Amino acid sequence: MSNPIKFMLDGVEVTTDGDETIWEIAKRNGTRIPHLCHLDKPGYRADGNCRACMVEIEGERVLAASCIRTPTEGMVVSSQSERADKSRKMVFEMLASDMKPPEEGPDAQSDFWVWANDMGVSDEKRFGSKFDDGHIDRGFDITNPAIAVNLDACIACGACVRACREVQVNDVIGMSGRGSHAAPTFDLHDPMGLSTCVSCGECVQACPTGALFEKTLMDDAGKTRVIEEFDKEVDSVCPFCGVGCQTTVSVKDNKIVRVDGRNGPANENRLCVKGRFGYDYAMSDDRLTTPLIRRDDTPKSGDADMRFMKISDVFREATWEEALDLAAGGLKKIYDDRGGNAIAGFGSAKGSNEEAYLFQKFIRQGFNTNNVDHCTRLCHASSVAALLQGVGSAAVSAPFTDAMKSDCIIAIGCRPTTNHPVAATYFKQAAKLGKKLIIIDPRGQDMMRHATHSLRFTPGTDVAMLNAMLHVIIEEKLYDEQYIQANVSGFEALKEKVKDFSPEAMSEICGVEADMLRDVARTYATSERSIIFWGMGISQHTHGTDNARCLIAMALITGQIGRPGTGLHPLRGQNNVQGASDAGLIPMFYPDYRSVENVDIRSEMEDFWGQSLEPKRGLTVVEIIDDILAGGISGMYVMGENPAMSDPDQIHARKALAKLDHLVVQDIFFTETAWHADVILPASAHAEKLGTFTNTNRQVQIGRPALDLPGEARQDWEIIASLANRVGLNWQYEHVSEVYTEMAAVMDSLNYITWERLIEEDVLTYPVSNPGEFGNEVIFTEGFPTDDGRGRIVPADLLPPDEVPDDEYPMVLTTGRLLEHWHTGSMTRRSQVLDELEPEGIAAMNPYEISRQGLTAGDVISVHTRRGTIDAVLRADREVADNMIFVPFCFNESPANRLTNPQLDPFGKIPEFKFCAAKVSPMVQREAAE
Amino acid sequence: MSDTLQKNRRRRKNHLPKGRQLDDTAVAEVAKLLKGAPGQRDLLIEHLHNIQDHFGCLEAKHMRALAEIMRLSQAEIYEVASFYDHFDIVKEGEAKPAPVTIRVCDSLSCMMAGAEKLIDDLEAGVNPDEIRIMRAPCMGGCDVAPAARIGDHELGNATVESLLALAAGKTDNKQIPAVIPDYKTLETYKTEGGYEALEKVRSGEIDFDAMLKTLSDAGLRGLGGAGFPAHMKWKFVRGYQGPRLMSINGDEGEPGTFKDRYYLERDPHRMFEGALIGAHMVEAERIYVYMRDEYPAVLEILRREIAALEKAGITEPGFIELRRGAGAYICGEESAMLESIEGKRGIPRHRPPFIAERGLFGKPTLNHNVETLWWLPDIIRHGPKWFADKGIEGHPGARSWSVSGRVKNPGVKLAPAGITIRQLIDDYCDGMADGHTLKAYYPGGASGGVLPASMDDIPLDFGGKLAELGSFVGSHAIVILSDQDNVKDAVLNTLQFFKHESCGQCTPCRGGTEKMVAMLQSDEPLDEEAIRDLETVMRDASICGLGQAAPNPVNHLLIHFREDLAQ
Repeated sequence: MSNPIKFMLDGVEVTTDGDETIWEIAKRNGTRIPHLCHLDKPGYRADGNCRACMVEIEGERVLAASCIRTPTEGMVVSSQSERADKSRKMVFEMLASDMKPPEEGPDAQSDFWVWANDMGVSDEKRFGSKFDDGHIDRGFDITNPAIAVNLDACIACGACVRACREVQVNDVIGMSGRGSHAAPTFDLHDPMGLSTCVSCGECVQACPTGALFEKTLMDDAGKTRVIEEFDKEVDSVCPFCGVGCQTTVSVKDNKIVRVDGRNGPANENRLCVKGRFGYDYAMSDDRLTTPLIRRDDTPKSGDADMRFMKISDVFREATWEEALDLAAGGLKKIYDDRGGNAIAGFGSAKGSNEEAYLFQKFIRQGFNTNNVDHCTRLCHASSVAALLQGVGSAAVSAPFTDAMKSDCIIAIGCRPTTNHPVAATYFKQAAKLGKKLIIIDPRGQDMMRHATHSLRFTPGTDVAMLNAMLHVIIEEKLYDEQYIQANVSGFEALKEKVKDFSPEAMSEICGVEADMLRDVARTYATSERSIIFWGMGISQHTHGTDNARCLIAMALITGQIGRPGTGLHPLRGQNNVQGASDAGLIPMFYPDYRSVENVDIRSEMEDFWGQSLEPKRGLTVVEIIDDILAGGISGMYVMGENPAMSDPDQIHARKALAKLDHLVVQDIFFTETAWHADVILPASAHAEKLGTFTNTNRQVQIGRPALDLPGEARQDWEIIASLANRVGLNWQYEHVSEVYTEMAAVMDSLNYITWERLIEEDVLTYPVSNPGEFGNEVIFTEGFPTDDGRGRIVPADLLPPDEVPDDEYPMVLTTGRLLEHWHTGSMTRRSQVLDELEPEGIAAMNPYEISRQGLTAGDVISVHTRRGTIDAVLRADREVADNMIFVPFCFNESPANRLTNPQLDPFGKIPEFKFCAAKVSPMVQREAAE
Repeated sequence: MSDTLQKNRRRRKNHLPKGRQLDDTAVAEVAKLLKGAPGQRDLLIEHLHNIQDHFGCLEAKHMRALAEIMRLSQAEIYEVASFYDHFDIVKEGEAKPAPVTIRVCDSLSCMMAGAEKLIDDLEAGVNPDEIRIMRAPCMGGCDVAPAARIGDHELGNATVESLLALAAGKTDNKQIPAVIPDYKTLETYKTEGGYEALEKVRSGEIDFDAMLKTLSDAGLRGLGGAGFPAHMKWKFVRGYQGPRLMSINGDEGEPGTFKDRYYLERDPHRMFEGALIGAHMVEAERIYVYMRDEYPAVLEILRREIAALEKAGITEPGFIELRRGAGAYICGEESAMLESIEGKRGIPRHRPPFIAERGLFGKPTLNHNVETLWWLPDIIRHGPKWFADKGIEGHPGARSWSVSGRVKNPGVKLAPAGITIRQLIDDYCDGMADGHTLKAYYPGGASGGVLPASMDDIPLDFGGKLAELGSFVGSHAIVILSDQDNVKDAVLNTLQFFKHESCGQCTPCRGGTEKMVAMLQSDEPLDEEAIRDLETVMRDASICGLGQAAPNPVNHLLIHFREDLAQ
């Protein structure tokens, strides 16, 4: 901050801090100066190139671009002089002369035409168009499924380049050519759809003329906007990953036609391809719109190939009354006959906090069991176990945006550009600012281009590698002795444990040079502020909890936690996996991670819910599946989850689902799980519901309905309540806000976060310490919420993955996600844009491995493990390590989880999705139903 | 073809990740060509030159490979490669350029000397598969127009015969190297007292304040075109917190200018000595010499002599770094040049901040034109008065006038500042060419405007009367037009040059140069109000001097040459 200065703007004396530009000051004082290349949006640097914002400064020979000029003491500026006005008008006139008339161009409502009309720049052309003589290519490109490029509307202002390079840091668009040939191009001037473009659409949101524009608003040819008005624009939040981007959803004729990023704390207007272009799943013809009941004559079978069956072969339509009676009655009967141990429920991390709360309450209160879980078990259960044990809380200690405040960022076992694309933008920006970015992952990734350190280690050797780093920190005394003394227990045991883990000894095991291990350890420990982000690469192992314990130990002994720019951040996968876990959708905890096995807590909850509760913790996701086959659980309620696709060892999981006496599925689509149901209840999509969602940053945000429910579909919370009342619970909720208020009453973490405040402010970060505050972005600033207030180090031992390659299955299979698809693909594969970008099941190996295996990229191959075989298109991807196969789990025609190993981490009960033994072959001809 | 097929053809192949795939062979080929650290972003243009020189073009696979090696995006490579004229981008499936390239200058002096006919004749006379004929902007051969270049061989008074004789039997540009003129080497320069001035400075015999006084007394001004007093520049740069850098602007692209080339092809060490004095005085940590790629012989001389300086221990290895331009006039603008040295597109920066405060790599930077530095050793040797006295009353100092066009004896003329065009023609150029009468003259290259013969008594120097007439002396490039020339044609040629060379960053210059050319080319009656409006916005709102000065010739055409306008 500079010293305050005084200057004259349009005859009025103004005081400014010296950092504000003339344009900003003018805006603050109520003067609108035209602007095109300057976006006035967070994250966008003023560039001063379009010259639409010229002002006159006394004593200067030429005019100045107000967007980029800061005033100096005593300066006399006129934004309204005739000379300035003339230049601004000429700029618009020149630019307009190269364009088609507004009604024939891509967007007559663009900022450009709004300003041009305001300024009275006429349609009458004094100047020819630069395209007239045919020397300059009009650059019409509709190869991207979502975005149309009409470069004859381009003013070469470079907003798209800044969007792509500086804001999203995808680096696909460049300003190429010179003079009147200057134009944005993709990669090496490639068609957009064939470039490395990830279709985040930031450029569309930035473009002031519509030269880059959403196809959804345009005619079929992609040339002209046809949807001019919206019926409404709804401020909401994205339905996909845990980043929690705020959105503005534009609706026309009860259809979403556009989604823009909004200035939320986690996204500052940014979105990714899923959030911006993947919304149409909610409007899919595949939506369930009527309750369905299984036909009496259709027996269940876990191995039926459902791809060739019609829904009406298996189910009949029913009324809500009939369906609800049957759904509730079936569960009630099992409970009455066999007790709560025979009932289980899978809730959803895609639903709202209110739905998650009601779901677990229904299972616990209605059936006296804690057999309630959700997909967090498959994602971060091990991280949660380690964090609760180590620091007393499973939530992140700092938001991912703190990467910008950090000096050293470790991203381990995560691929943020794929799975948390908007979070990744901050990591890449931080790297561009010169911060150390350390990426640790067996697979390569595009973010490594920005990294200072890239460690591609041997899969499954996380503990060896991390213990070696701990060894260095201790051996070289890089730990924070004072911090440890004040805040940490277990340091001596750790010291003893990692003594034998020298980088030199571990190097061979983990495949990373000892010097590199030392460098990373030193960099992390000695940077002023270091932060660790991790994902499923850490958690989805039988030693996942140990992996996370190592990361926690690193933060604790170096004191790299509890300050801005430091901390531990497991990147949460689904939009509300944080909130669903917080709300108690897990078998060992009531809301707020309060143990079901603690007598005091239980009696408190018993008072709150008005009845006795089961004292024993419930079973987890994979345990529930096993228990069904063991003859235990026989009735299930599955809401918004798809265990038939998401659980490991799919054949086994489907066998279990088929064995259930009674399965109630509540969903928006006919999922793979729904095939095994007795009753299917058509529910609400994210875009149809009002509720709160908690992102990975602990930010509680409000989602608002944009669409009407289709057909007879109902709100999920209402369906749960209807079932609850049918099993005799007598719930009396009139509005979803009442659910929130009840939930908040038993969750200290939501103190001061009222429904009214959320409606008013859209987002608050928990915990909030005082009424009216936004909330604490960084926690553990003074000790930890453990019994003694100290962080607890739990040293980890070397454990190999459960199933290591052998002669029969010599390769390693790892699973994960693709940028365009989310969870099991039930939503994203029904989005036209996303499906067009990634249309079919793939298995990826690197080109050298493909050639060693005698295979050809593009062929359909078979991937085999001890659990089963799938077929998929072979993709040549250099990022996959030697001897590895990567299969995304979102494709039901190539279901990765038919292959995966259901062995569990002993603490987090998470299966080892990231590692099992496999082999590949050319496609094997098999029976349709194996 | 069905719609589905059409759609599938457009769609990326699902068996590969997004975008162009890496070609291992291309990576190996490119890696072999790179000099210096591959991750050094500012070497991008140097790397592109190496690839272009070796393969005769920039193939997509090599650009993709270079991106991988440099850890840049493909877009960052492409935008730079496509900005500069001397790179030939070849995408998959496109033909490579013919193995031999002939560039013919089509700027003002060469056009007057018949460049258009030369180009036509060449195009008619060569097999385009073997030889490619390209138009090129001014290559500093205005005194021997028409100028041309084949491979790296520069040729004056070029004819179809002389060019094709050089092309005979050649199958690669590399077979036609630059012809290095005789020049004063380090050894000779030293025997004549060279680097003694530097020694005085390095030994402390002359301190900073004394040096500033000398520069001030000599009246030495920046001779690249802006005429900024040298001593003030040094003072500013020294006033900002180090580390500081120095750059030498050898991008002599103003049409009609060839003085820097003239000096460097004869006596390059004067510039080096001047530069080392400047670097010492402002405590610059390194000197970057930016030399235009249109001067292959000069580039080779500089390469040799930088090595000689290092070998002789006069400079530390790497202290003077040579950077090669790549065919872009705008890089003569100092901030655009800095961008180019940083390996980027040469687009001018906004001011403030000025480069003295935040220049190359964000550091305070002293930038000088070649000739400004070239005078320094002599000014120190002979004293400031010696230089100041070379001028005339009120116009201290000597100037190196690049004179071309319709004079009998064109060339670089060392004459006083403040001389009139009449004196320059008569006393230094042996008068007008036979059969030609003075009609008009460009006093400062393409951008200084064009004045009528009736104004033959104006003292030519920075500011003064010239400025009042909307003109300037700039780089002291004088192009003489005669009664046989049409000024409108000349102005159109000039504007076409600006249109071609506009960097495209700001609307007024990008659109203004393009629209002015279209209007001047049009058969329609000229809408003078419209072209005046273009002139106004270009002058008032362009980011840099290119756009601000580009309308000068048009302004003069409308005022002084209405009869040519009407034709």
